[in-house]
Amino acid sequence: MVIGTLYGLVGAIELVAPDLLGNIGWLVFGRIRTVHTNLVVFGFLTPALLSVGHFVVPRLLRTQLFSEKLGIFIVCLWNVIVAAIFITLSIGLSQGREYAEAIWEIDILVAIAFALIFINMIMTIRNRQEPLLYVSVWYITAGIILTLIVYAIGNVIWVPGAGALTGIPDAVILWFYGHNVLGLLLTPLAVGIAYYVIPSATRTPLYSHTLSLAGFWSLLVLYSHIGTHHLIQVPAPTWLKVVSIVGSIGMVIPVMIVLINFWYTVKGKMRTIHENIGAKFVFTGTVFYLFTCIQGPIQALPQVQRLTHFSNWVVAHAHMGILGFSGMVAIGGIYFILPKMTGRSIYSKTLAEFQYWMILIGLVGFMVVLTTVGLVQGNSWLNGETIYRILPQIHNYNIVRAGLGVLIVTGAIIGLYNMVRSIFFNLGETA
Amino acid sequence: MNLKMTPTAVVLGGIVILAVIVFGVVYWPWATRIEQPSAIFRHRSAEEEKGRLIYIANGCVNCHTQSIRLVDWGLGAERIAQAGDYVADRPILLGSVRTGPDLSQEGGEHPDDWHVAHFINPRYTRPNSIMPAWEFLGNEKIRLLTRYVQGLGLKMADRRLERQKFWKKKSIKAYEAGPEKNVQWLHSQVPEGWRKIPNPYPTTKAGLVRGHKIYQDFCIGCHGPVGDGMGLAQPWIYPPPLNFTILKGRGASGGILYYKIMNGITGTAMPYFKRELESQKIWEVGDYIAVNFIDESDADQEPKGIDAAWEP
Repeated sequence: MVIGTLYGLVGAIELVAPDLLGNIGWLVFGRIRTVHTNLVVFGFLTPALLSVGHFVVPRLLRTQLFSEKLGIFIVCLWNVIVAAIFITLSIGLSQGREYAEAIWEIDILVAIAFALIFINMIMTIRNRQEPLLYVSVWYITAGIILTLIVYAIGNVIWVPGAGALTGIPDAVILWFYGHNVLGLLLTPLAVGIAYYVIPSATRTPLYSHTLSLAGFWSLLVLYSHIGTHHLIQVPAPTWLKVVSIVGSIGMVIPVMIVLINFWYTVKGKMRTIHENIGAKFVFTGTVFYLFTCIQGPIQALPQVQRLTHFSNWVVAHAHMGILGFSGMVAIGGIYFILPKMTGRSIYSKTLAEFQYWMILIGLVGFMVVLTTVGLVQGNSWLNGETIYRILPQIHNYNIVRAGLGVLIVTGAIIGLYNMVRSIFFNLGETA
Repeated sequence: MNLKMTPTAVVLGGIVILAVIVFGVVYWPWATRIEQPSAIFRHRSAEEEKGRLIYIANGCVNCHTQSIRLVDWGLGAERIAQAGDYVADRPILLGSVRTGPDLSQEGGEHPDDWHVAHFINPRYTRPNSIMPAWEFLGNEKIRLLTRYVQGLGLKMADRRLERQKFWKKKSIKAYEAGPEKNVQWLHSQVPEGWRKIPNPYPTTKAGLVRGHKIYQDFCIGCHGPVGDGMGLAQPWIYPPPLNFTILKGRGASGGILYYKIMNGITGTAMPYFKRELESQKIWEVGDYIAVNFIDESDADQEPKGIDAAWEP
């Protein structure tokens, strides 16, 4: 997370002072931005959420992880993958498709990693002592197997060189994939973890298992087919756009079902959330989930998109979903399971609180500023103003944006320190 | 609820749903795709393909869209994108954020030398740009990237590039004939009506300050801070940027300056600014140049018609 967000910050600074890091190939904005998105998704969120998942699933099934050795092997493999992504994208080995930039060799390693993770999970489920599968297990298992499929299809791994189709179908498949990195990887993992953390922290049974069922299946049906809402203004088939817009609006259903389930579980027990820093992060994540997934359907409407498309509004939306929802849940999940793993409380609750507020303030400010920039850009474009007239207009906002990025990176560094101390040099009281 | 959530139900259920969705929204759009090239389509040359790989490697798509929409006004908006324009694009490079201009119709917008100067450092030709400098790529890669960019717009780009080449020859010939002949040639390319028009705005301190701001934002990279044509882009551009001081005593009216700024000089690195600058801004930057660099302004002279209501 530290390097991922640091790259975001460097990118933001380059938007303000483009010659600051002049002529250093691996630090030009085009590569920095690619490294930033890939590290955040595949270097921070995916392993963080999966690691919490690896703790949660055996615990919920009253068993051990099927193979600890396989798990450690996957961790090593994953670190190799992340290092390879970092190096290849930095030296300009890219397939140029958003969130699918990694070259074919890495794509194969990712697919293998997900296949191994799935085997480990499904075998753990087979060895379970608890007959009933809790909702977290559904989400995490489905997220892993479906991501394996989506990743392979989205990266067009049967075309090793380009890793792409040709023309408009390539855009369709790319956004099917790009949308499902959130829809079938980050969201199910994060929701699954929240389903564990929230009842566990509040010591309350889940509000409704029926709602869990409805939320799970409607998420799979709705989230996975609406990627074409990224292409409403592109010459893609009209029927496909209509399907994606209708489905996007339908997304309100799974999101509200899940949130009603979470929040009714917490009802009257907010104190327990405040007292546990892990649960606090996770609960905040669910609030951002609401914001993201109300904004999402609205900006899928063609009338809204005429104003927001291609602008920083969308960048704000992405940060809300990635850092606000998935990121918050990932950090919270780690803080929540750390004491259970080490048997000691986390190294410093104060530092964790400090990190919480740094990230929250940084992120909210970031969203406000970028949404504003998006509106400035969108309105100016509709008014016929050219890029070179708009760039000076958004310059000051970009400075504020970089400043807020400092808060987020600081939060990440504090979190890393706190987590390392909690695991390796923790002299704190036993929990 | 009696729906039992067994591992099989979760895994198979998920896979079945996903399979249906992949068939519906991925396979079916592919099976019914449009392969018919559009009227402007042509295949890219080998050099353009190489340049495209450099474009991909460096993440240019993160800031430049290639996707002209019905609502667009800016560069390339004369041509709304059609599916048939993209039939050779693998991968397609639509982009998702428009930090820089859309490049769908960038080809032939400028001559090659402008692009080289722009890649060496974008602020040489566009002082407001926030694009990174690409000098580190080296001359060969910049040349290939330029080939790719000059092909964007396909057959439409080819027509524009031909025009650039045609006028490039003429403008070099005029430049090499010396300042007197060059200025004569430049003036002769302006329609007669425009040549006779003086700058209709009065020279005011406020107007010169506004003109100065426009000059810094759009002109200083090539024409330089003192208007002698020795801006940072000058070493890469031929014919070099105009030294405004040679216009003195050679009949550069406000109308001529306006016309050149508005329409540019195709074939040279001088772009047109009519998309970027509204009328008053062009008149005022013209007067800023006339007052400060040519030392000869016809602002507010007759014939100017009925005085504007806001004039002091």
